[in-house]
Amino acid sequence: MSPRRTDTGGRIDRLKTIRFTFDGVAYTGHAGDTLASALLAKGVTLFGRSFKYHRPRGLLTAGVEEPNALVTVLKGEVREPNIPATMVEIHDGLVAISQNRFPSLAWDVNAVNQLGGKILSAGFYYKTFMGPVIGPLKGTRFWMFCEHFIRRAAGLGSAGSAKDPARYERMNAFCDVLVVGSGPAGLMAAKAAADHGARVILADLEPRFGGSTNWSDETIDGAPAADWARRTVTQLEGRDNVRLLPRTTVWGYYDNNTLAALERVSDHKEQPAKGEPRHRYWAIRAKSVVLATGAFERPLVFPGNDRPGVMLAHAAERYANEFGVLPGERIALFTNNDSAYRAAVALKKAGAAIVAIADVRSELSAEMRKLATEAEAEIFGGHAVVATEGGKALSGIKVQRFEMVTGALTGEERSIHADCLLMSGGWSPTIHLASQAGAKAEWNAARQAFLPPKPTQQWIGAGAFTGSFSTVEAIAEGRAAGLAAAGGTGTPTALPTVEAVAGDPDPAPVCEIRAKGKSFVDFQHDVTSEDVRLAHREGFVSVEHLKRYTTLGMATDQGKSSNVPGLAIMAEALGKPIPEVGTTRFRPPFAPVSIGSLAAERFGDLRPERLTPMHDWHLANGATMYSAGLWYRPMIYGHAGETVEQAYVREARATRESAGIVDVSTLGKIAVQGPDAAVFLDRVYTNMFSTLAFGKARYGLMLREDGLAFDDGTTWRLGEQDFLMTTTTANAGKVMQHLEYFLDVIWPELKVHVTSVTDEWAGAAIGGPKARQILAACVTGTAVDNATLPFMGIVRGEIAGVPVMICRLSFSGEMAFEVYSGAGHGTRVWEALVEAGKPFGLVTYGLEALGTMRIEKGHVTGAEIDGRTTARDLHLDWMLSKKKPFIGSAMMDREGLIASDRLELVGLIALDNRPLNGGAHIVEALDEANPHGSIGHITACCYSPALGKHIALALVEGGKARHGTRAHVSDPLRNRFGPVEIVSNHFYDPEGTRMHG
Amino acid sequence: MLITCPYCGPRGVIEFTYQGDGNRERPDPASQNFEAWNAYVYDRLNPAGDHNEIWQHSGGCRAHLRVVRNTLTHEISSVAFVRGDHGSAARRKAEDKA
Amino acid sequence: MVERQSPLEPEFHVGSHGNFEHGVDILLTETRPGSIVQLAAWPGEEKRLIAAIRSVTGLALPDGAGGGVNDGVKSVFGFAPGKFTAADDAEGLAAAFAKAVTPEIGTVTDLSHGRTAIRIAGPKAEWVLAKFFAIDFALPAFPVGAGRSTAHHDVFAQIQRTGADQFDIYVFRSFARSFWKALCHASEEVGYEVQ
Repeated sequence: MSPRRTDTGGRIDRLKTIRFTFDGVAYTGHAGDTLASALLAKGVTLFGRSFKYHRPRGLLTAGVEEPNALVTVLKGEVREPNIPATMVEIHDGLVAISQNRFPSLAWDVNAVNQLGGKILSAGFYYKTFMGPVIGPLKGTRFWMFCEHFIRRAAGLGSAGSAKDPARYERMNAFCDVLVVGSGPAGLMAAKAAADHGARVILADLEPRFGGSTNWSDETIDGAPAADWARRTVTQLEGRDNVRLLPRTTVWGYYDNNTLAALERVSDHKEQPAKGEPRHRYWAIRAKSVVLATGAFERPLVFPGNDRPGVMLAHAAERYANEFGVLPGERIALFTNNDSAYRAAVALKKAGAAIVAIADVRSELSAEMRKLATEAEAEIFGGHAVVATEGGKALSGIKVQRFEMVTGALTGEERSIHADCLLMSGGWSPTIHLASQAGAKAEWNAARQAFLPPKPTQQWIGAGAFTGSFSTVEAIAEGRAAGLAAAGGTGTPTALPTVEAVAGDPDPAPVCEIRAKGKSFVDFQHDVTSEDVRLAHREGFVSVEHLKRYTTLGMATDQGKSSNVPGLAIMAEALGKPIPEVGTTRFRPPFAPVSIGSLAAERFGDLRPERLTPMHDWHLANGATMYSAGLWYRPMIYGHAGETVEQAYVREARATRESAGIVDVSTLGKIAVQGPDAAVFLDRVYTNMFSTLAFGKARYGLMLREDGLAFDDGTTWRLGEQDFLMTTTTANAGKVMQHLEYFLDVIWPELKVHVTSVTDEWAGAAIGGPKARQILAACVTGTAVDNATLPFMGIVRGEIAGVPVMICRLSFSGEMAFEVYSGAGHGTRVWEALVEAGKPFGLVTYGLEALGTMRIEKGHVTGAEIDGRTTARDLHLDWMLSKKKPFIGSAMMDREGLIASDRLELVGLIALDNRPLNGGAHIVEALDEANPHGSIGHITACCYSPALGKHIALALVEGGKARHGTRAHVSDPLRNRFGPVEIVSNHFYDPEGTRMHG
Repeated sequence: MLITCPYCGPRGVIEFTYQGDGNRERPDPASQNFEAWNAYVYDRLNPAGDHNEIWQHSGGCRAHLRVVRNTLTHEISSVAFVRGDHGSAARRKAEDKA
Repeated sequence: MVERQSPLEPEFHVGSHGNFEHGVDILLTETRPGSIVQLAAWPGEEKRLIAAIRSVTGLALPDGAGGGVNDGVKSVFGFAPGKFTAADDAEGLAAAFAKAVTPEIGTVTDLSHGRTAIRIAGPKAEWVLAKFFAIDFALPAFPVGAGRSTAHHDVFAQIQRTGADQFDIYVFRSFARSFWKALCHASEEVGYEVQ
């Protein structure tokens, strides 16, 4: 027989049956079971196939450190791979499958990899990279040939491609004390801190608080330890200043005591409640942290230590005491320390036969001999397990006399019939978070373990985390840590009393038995002790290199079980003590984190987006929207059956023939106010603004400090000390920061305030030969004739009973006006303008037509002001005032910025009458086979309805000097080659007669 | 990383924008000294240790802060408004620093 | 006066939503103040600006960064050194301040259209806001009346605590609908009512 459920015992609810499937087979378990415990209870011992060799693997552990039993959980179309079966709480309808096996878990064709073990030894990836030095598969080609097969055969579970419909959330939390781990130390710490009045968060990655109390046979304050833990949790639950986070893995410890945690909110439910997230990412800022994260038991390294049926001693104790599952009927133990004897007694009590305890130590204490007697186990002192037998389950072990100091094996091998072997290689404190927090771990020779370093951040350790493995110590240290973290001092009250089996916390310094056969150090990556030695022979001496070369301690495992044995073997090979070999730094995350929890609300429909006041009108009136940064803007207002090009050509043509209106609310708008506002603008812009009259606007250009062009726009003078600056849509935020920087850092003496008023105003630009007539038809309170509203003039009036500001300026090149109203009135004013425009043939137009008309006019935007161009390159040197210094004026005339071969703005006309492409290169001589000799590139292009041609703006070497000459577009990516004529960027109405009217 | 804004208190670095080396000295606007301008625009110290930096609390009060940050440890030893003329009323009381 | 269009309209659904069968723990609404004004003092003139605020609104600002006060109709709070946001149910606050805040004291910027005020109230208000903003919403750290400037990704927000369980959030109008949708989404698990 094999594993089975015990009749009594454990913290599962035998009255509640839960149905689930594993690899398509239906199973039942009980409430409180993990997938691991439920399957083990049904006699399942084979859980997965190993990474490289596809060896059969069973459960090694009962917790988060499980390296073997990784499964994929399926929810609808969504698959989540690589979850330890030990961390999956079963629920009705759970569907899980095993991984890395083909065609089935029990019969795996790739298991032949075991025979090719030499090929897949340490560094196999890198070696295949090198390949033969000659021949058709030389060098990396060999790798590319092999990769296909290796990648398929080696690996973990495969990720799905279906969209994950689950909800993920982020939560920001603040507390005085964060306690990580809820064993006796963590519970005492949380209680002490809470009693002291601190705001406390207690997090544990398990669903049940209590840590070891859930499976130890100890008593606290006269009650079973689990009852004490439950009572303590109940007390904490009732307090306002305590937040309890079960199923929450604290996975990252960052600067300034900021910690990251993942709460698995509803994975254990068949269906989440309405609005309930699947995972919650907690960003916790704690004034101080109590690390009570316990310790991981280590495996011993000996041949066949990975066979299903071989597991850690405490894991078996947990399965028996916490889940009511016996992992075997005839159990043997193999240990180098006292803690395994406790497990032997627990399993005996639960109903198993303990057939042998092999202990590498020849001298054993009287207490341990007594425990062995209690377990009715035969002791093999000074013995080691040298082999395991069986296929997909254990059938027996072989032991041999072992000399601890030399490692020599002597005498006859003795076979022992057993269906389960428990091993204990000592304990490693779970110092991952402390290591992440900054300092280096310290080797403790007595404990044979790395102990937490001295804190470099505000944390205090307690319990097994510090290497204090007994519950008595955990309780005392926990309370002291909680109190200290909360800023309190020692209290004289008595600590809870503990009844526990005594034991020596120090193991014998043995972690490997060198005998024939594969002995695994890292189970998850199939790294054997020989691989570590091979790496050493090949010259790898640093632990960091060892890790990368052998993959020891990588991926989800992160060295939880393999770290110390791997280092010990390396140290032995190097002939150095472990502290000199050092250890790798643990890095976040401590355990795998769902990507969804990191993205949280920032994807799908919940991405932040900016909408103009007229957004809904655009949608209701046929606009196709286009995202421009975070903004949404109409691209075209297409008619039925129209292509995008047909629509924008119609819109642009109608605007030039009668009138068009476009939403310009997205332009950046900044209120520049104060007595020094005009002086400030003179310094910020290349041209003068102090001379601007009230009620007038001026086009302005800004440079960066290095003399390159930065942004352009118009600024309106609304009063003596009151300007309204407009910026390009894309640069609004950058310009705002630029102004704020100069006011705060460079010129603090200037009395100027800048405020973003982009959202205060709705803007509609109406242009075309009929634009003025349309305005005259709907504006009240002011005239809009040439005398009242000259070019760059501003008037105030009303449209549809709403106050508006109208400025006469033009981007389209037509007689045009920008009408600004309060954003809350934007749609009302827009509708009134559209209504007034109906008799005049007014069209609404979008970004495509806007872009077309600006290209025809040769105006620049972000495509040309690209951070590499100067004002001269863009023919804007007429705006560079010589009367005053301004930002960038000192640097703009540097040699390289005025060179004659710089790229300058020009216009292009396609001579083959075919569309041009943005980004295409310009060459003097065409060479399609070997494109080269670029003299520039296209920045923007369109079909021009005004010219009836395909045109473009481009930045070309020499610029103006090439006007009237021919060149070619060379665009090998899109296979577009052809002749163009280089012309002025001012294609249309270069004198501006239309806009000046 | 947290920066303790004198107005808003400790906030995550995501609320701040790095605005450059705090050791730069801008020449007189009318100066034609290219060396000085070049140094101001391009020359940067790259110390392994304490560094004077300017950060804007762009996701908060938008004030510019003079921050001394250790580039090896991220430890911030001082934060102050760049402007010296924000009155004491504009500062958080020490006990507010949660 | 012509009524202003709310930026939330198509996404503003009065009634109970989300997991409300177990009780409504969040109330969401748009407060739609008639006026939202930004006031900024020149260095050294903050006290005179605070006096001007008192003369216009009758509200006495407490000392210190982020100090604020709310009387149910008008509210004012500091959000940056020397800078304050004031709101009033009635329109015309900017004009009133334009008289009281002389050019020697500072500047007045009317943001009545440019900012949208969203109120979140109820026993789970702190919980829901903690999903968005990395600031401590606990009452001792964020007292009633006080203001905070912070951001959720790209969305700038000024938040005033207007009750033990109530916060008024001022966001840029263009972001308001997107933020509102996110706020509703985040409130689903605790049940919410839009009023």
